[in-house]
Amino acid sequence: MLLEVLTIPKDDPIAFTFFIGYMAMLAASVFFFFERGRVDDKWKLSLLVSGLITGIAAVHYYYMKDYYVATGENPTALRYIDWTLTVPLMCVEFYLLTKVAGATKGLLWKLIFASALMLVAGYIGEAFVPLNADGTAAEGATAHSVMWGVISTLGYIYILYAAWAGEVAQLAKKSGNPVVIRGVKTLGWFVLVGWAIYPIGYMCMPGGWLNTAFGWESGSVDLFYNIADAINKIGFGLVVYGIAISSSEKKAA
Amino acid sequence: MTKSIFIFIAVLLLSFPLTKLYGDFTLVDQLLFSFPLILFLGLPHGAIDNVLFLRNTNEGNTKFILVYVMMVGAYISLWFLSPTTAYILFLFFSAYHFGQSQFSHYVKSSNLLIKLLNFSWGVSLLSGLVYFNQSDINQISASINFIDIEVLHGENLMFWIFLISTTSVVVLFIVLSVRGILTTETLAMELLVLFLIHICFVLMPLFVGFTLYFVVLHSLKVLQEEYTFLFKVKSRSSLVKFIKLLAPLSILSIFGTIALFCLIYYELLPISYGYLFLIIISSITFPHIFVMEKFYSISRKE
Repeated sequence: MLLEVLTIPKDDPIAFTFFIGYMAMLAASVFFFFERGRVDDKWKLSLLVSGLITGIAAVHYYYMKDYYVATGENPTALRYIDWTLTVPLMCVEFYLLTKVAGATKGLLWKLIFASALMLVAGYIGEAFVPLNADGTAAEGATAHSVMWGVISTLGYIYILYAAWAGEVAQLAKKSGNPVVIRGVKTLGWFVLVGWAIYPIGYMCMPGGWLNTAFGWESGSVDLFYNIADAINKIGFGLVVYGIAISSSEKKAA
Repeated sequence: MTKSIFIFIAVLLLSFPLTKLYGDFTLVDQLLFSFPLILFLGLPHGAIDNVLFLRNTNEGNTKFILVYVMMVGAYISLWFLSPTTAYILFLFFSAYHFGQSQFSHYVKSSNLLIKLLNFSWGVSLLSGLVYFNQSDINQISASINFIDIEVLHGENLMFWIFLISTTSVVVLFIVLSVRGILTTETLAMELLVLFLIHICFVLMPLFVGFTLYFVVLHSLKVLQEEYTFLFKVKSRSSLVKFIKLLAPLSILSIFGTIALFCLIYYELLPISYGYLFLIIISSITFPHIFVMEKFYSISRKE
């Protein structure tokens, strides 16, 4: 295992981000699980979910870094298995935050459905893009990735709407709790800006617009995805942690 | 995030991949996309200028329309007397007008700093549009043959105008934020919106990019403000009344514009489509800006 670690190429930033991502996700999980004991009972489930998100990601990053170092290829399938588990959990965080204000199971399922649509369409768009034998984009590659990219974006737009103006935002307002209102708004910013890094990665796949327009390599896909994952998963958890701690301290005072 | 910003982000995300899939947009393709949207969703936001201006006054509609039409006529005359002056003036007051509508819902009063922000923001928007779409602009310049247009749109000049105006906007945002006029969240959102608008101009062809901005972030927003101003209680019947208010002058403007374009098509009017488009847009924008200045001043008080 140590030998594999030593084989990281010195000039490969993608490999670096895989290793950093793995360690950061693992450290964040330990942090959330330990800190769970310090918060009020009603926030314990939220912190457990935060820990699970980074924990699941850490396990996947462990496998993805090895896969990447061994093959030099994008670990697309592993990546999407990770997201299929963790992104709906992020939507669960929205539900848990606004549950006190009356969030229903219906809202939770709508968010999960939207995230599933986003990921399944993204996976089909990325994993089944027509390629030539040498790995370059074959005819129809752009049409394929655009079509599935647009379908995936519909799921993203629903979640963005829910977080900023739809049910989640309304429920946060209704809760009257300034900590929850601020927290949901911050999570909304993560969805708006942090999640926007993923389409940049998507457009770096063979035949992707950023590759053809700027001559970027398809390896950039992983660079963007790793950066986005670190920001969003750990950041999301830290926002929830911040809400939980502030709320618990207020109650104790 | 306002509704119009959300719609802009959603439309940008969905339309960008589709435009790339479509391939190269010729100017004709762009106009075929933009023209109906500007006619049916853009023009109506100026179609109730008479209702807005005359609200709570005893002045007659006929007098207002007469003055309005005279202003339009005066501006058309300016195009024939000095096209360069007409063009530069159009850019100046459009810049101010675009900035004014962008920040209308944040500001409770309009001081010099706000006016400066309105203007700088609009200049950043228009210079970005020209700077990032040089090849399309050069094609249009070739068909609009008034003397200085190529000099005015020179890449170097546009770069510096874009840089200075955008820097001014950022500095003014910070000053207004420090003074408590803009919240930190508003500041972040407006910086993001300005960034997205310029990204839209970089990614999209000239008219497609401008239409997305003009229809979604400008016209729909102004229409929503006008609706809220005129109808305090929102209902289905008030929406129908609002549409009925918009309809007469919108329909008149749409048919009038189409008729003028037909004159070119049948070679009865010896100018290019682009030139006529500029003359129409600038001439109806000229009086509209004065009305909107009064509208925002009244709506702030109310």
